[in-house]
Amino acid sequence: MPIPKMTLNENEQPDLCSAPNDLPGAIVRFCRFARRNGLDAGPGETISCLRVLRSARLTDLEAVKYGLKSILCSSKEECDLFEKIFETFWGPGGRCSVSAARDRPRAELSRQTGRRILNRGQGASPAVRRGGSAAADCGRETWPYRDFGEDALSRVLDRRGQEEDEPGEAVSGASATERLGKTDFSEVPQADLDELERISIRLLRRMSYRVSRKLKAGRTRDRVDLRRTLRLSISHGGEPIELRYKRRKRERPKLVLLLDVSDSMNLYSLFLLKFAYALSRHVREVESFIFSTGLQKISGLMRDRRLSDALEKLSEIKTGWSGGTRIGDSIREFNRLYARQLLSRTTVFIILSDGWDTGEPEVLVTELRIIKPRVKKVIWLNPLLGVAGYEPITRAMNAALPYLDVFAPAHNLESLLELEKHLCMMNF
Amino acid sequence: MDQNNTGRDLGDIDALTASFERLGYVADRALVTAVYLLLQLQKPLLIEGHAGVGKTELAKVLASLLETELIRLQCYEGLDVNSAVYEWNYQKQLLAIKVQEGSARTVEEKEAYIFGSDFLLMRPLLRSILSEEAAPVLLVDEIDRADEAFEAFLLELLSDFQISIPELGTIRAKRTPYVILTSNSTRELSDALKRRCLYHWIDYPSLEKEMKIVRARLPGIDEQLSSQAVRFVHAVRELEPAKPPGVAETLDLSRALLSLKKETLDEQAVEETLGCVLKSSEDFRRVRAEGIEKLLPRTEE
Repeated sequence: MPIPKMTLNENEQPDLCSAPNDLPGAIVRFCRFARRNGLDAGPGETISCLRVLRSARLTDLEAVKYGLKSILCSSKEECDLFEKIFETFWGPGGRCSVSAARDRPRAELSRQTGRRILNRGQGASPAVRRGGSAAADCGRETWPYRDFGEDALSRVLDRRGQEEDEPGEAVSGASATERLGKTDFSEVPQADLDELERISIRLLRRMSYRVSRKLKAGRTRDRVDLRRTLRLSISHGGEPIELRYKRRKRERPKLVLLLDVSDSMNLYSLFLLKFAYALSRHVREVESFIFSTGLQKISGLMRDRRLSDALEKLSEIKTGWSGGTRIGDSIREFNRLYARQLLSRTTVFIILSDGWDTGEPEVLVTELRIIKPRVKKVIWLNPLLGVAGYEPITRAMNAALPYLDVFAPAHNLESLLELEKHLCMMNF
Repeated sequence: MDQNNTGRDLGDIDALTASFERLGYVADRALVTAVYLLLQLQKPLLIEGHAGVGKTELAKVLASLLETELIRLQCYEGLDVNSAVYEWNYQKQLLAIKVQEGSARTVEEKEAYIFGSDFLLMRPLLRSILSEEAAPVLLVDEIDRADEAFEAFLLELLSDFQISIPELGTIRAKRTPYVILTSNSTRELSDALKRRCLYHWIDYPSLEKEMKIVRARLPGIDEQLSSQAVRFVHAVRELEPAKPPGVAETLDLSRALLSLKKETLDEQAVEETLGCVLKSSEDFRRVRAEGIEKLLPRTEE
């Protein structure tokens, strides 16, 4: 789903009101305006809007606003955005009325009387003239379009096909997501950081959720335990009236994440931590560690309710933030302290590191050799893999390759989301 | 789908607001408009919002407003069709088979008998469709907790209001239920479902609105005390605890203060009733660290 950019595109001119007496037309234009500003207002929604206005007795502007809002929005962010869009399009001093006034003599008239687009639609109707005061507050103003019948609606539906082709799409949320999703974490412009954070938390959360579902879907359903059911049936004269079930012992797959926070990973660590956080929140049985020269378990912190708290506590951990890297030694420490407890045939072992190791590659190989047969899969995500022309020539990386099931990039949001694919391909 | 399901005429939006208020539910105009459209267009209404802002309550109030039955489906992880739609009463079927053993009926007759409606256990969704009297209000609570497969099933149901039971055939809704779905937005719902529904986001109420709610729900409460309680909860909310207290918590606090016969909300009263407002030890620590007395002066403004 496209994620709307939550700012109103100020340069986007609302469409002019080409014909009076044309509420359906105005609504269609409003929906297009909303779409260009990031709301999910496709043809289907437009039609729903028209139906709402027709079949419900919505007689004042406020009610119309809330009616359209309930159709066009599907999250709190979108609701907030809608307010702005609505105000810009219909509101007093909205661009629509001003620009329309410039272009049309008829509109000129209405500008003088301080009416705006809503009433201009039926400029000649007595209702408008009666209520033609200059006070154009967005409150309980009477909605002038009372009835428009099937024909008006079907006219709109007929015309819809052509309008879809019109050019002039503004930057929509989808493209922002796409653009930022592909940007290397180390190259995200300062101005886009907030946006990226918002998008990534949302996407990662969604991914984690899907992963957690897929991981659980594989477990077997309860089955009737015939033996115990029959045993029990003796008391009912041999009829199996009460059923007994057997369930298989649940084996929960575990994810073990090892995050490299050494100097060379500086630009990526923060994003990867957020990634680990998102996974931990939504997938049960994730154990996370950070390492540079030593290993530190951070699973507890990752279960903190708020990311900011978790990050704050993390920053207080002394162990080798942004120091050198000793991957092999760190994994040895893992093997020594945690392997027995955490590794099993259902575990996926994920290392997030650029592979710059100041230790001996032999150590790394020895340790990976221990891990490999005990887990379901070893995945190495490397941010450098996204850099054009990168080859895993560092000694450690090179030595580790034969022991990896998946070797994939982790330099931008899109590549992190790819992890879902690797996790879900496995039949748990 | 059906002809006589135009719903009770509850008048226009203003009349609806008044009716809500009469039942002790304080709703703003946006919400009432959404409910109005739900009644008029018979589209499901999806309500999102923080915990304890009155999402579920809305369905209850609507049901009593329409003087109809409220059928509630509480979603949970792993909810399946058997517990949401229907299930056969296996024990009874087994007994029936046994009883019929000596009878002269053919196998087909026996089968038709044990798969008759006598053996059908109706779950909420089927019940909502079979409702004879008046269109019921169907509350699908916390849809975000159910899994996606169930969401897809629900989508199908919400578009046709019919259910197929292999043994019985297709059952169509006699009266289209008014559907309210609630979600705590713990996960993203599918676009398809969102599209099918009207949407409304309930935010935490403003100070004035929340006081109005407390007074509407607890008519006996002292004005000063309720105002203190509401202000205190607002101050706590501003601290952004992990589980921010909703309106339900404000009401709990007010009720607790009433039953403890407190006249003002002082530090001791807060200590005694903090469990009504905060629901995690982390938040307790946080609020204590902030200092309860610091939160209180604001309540006496």
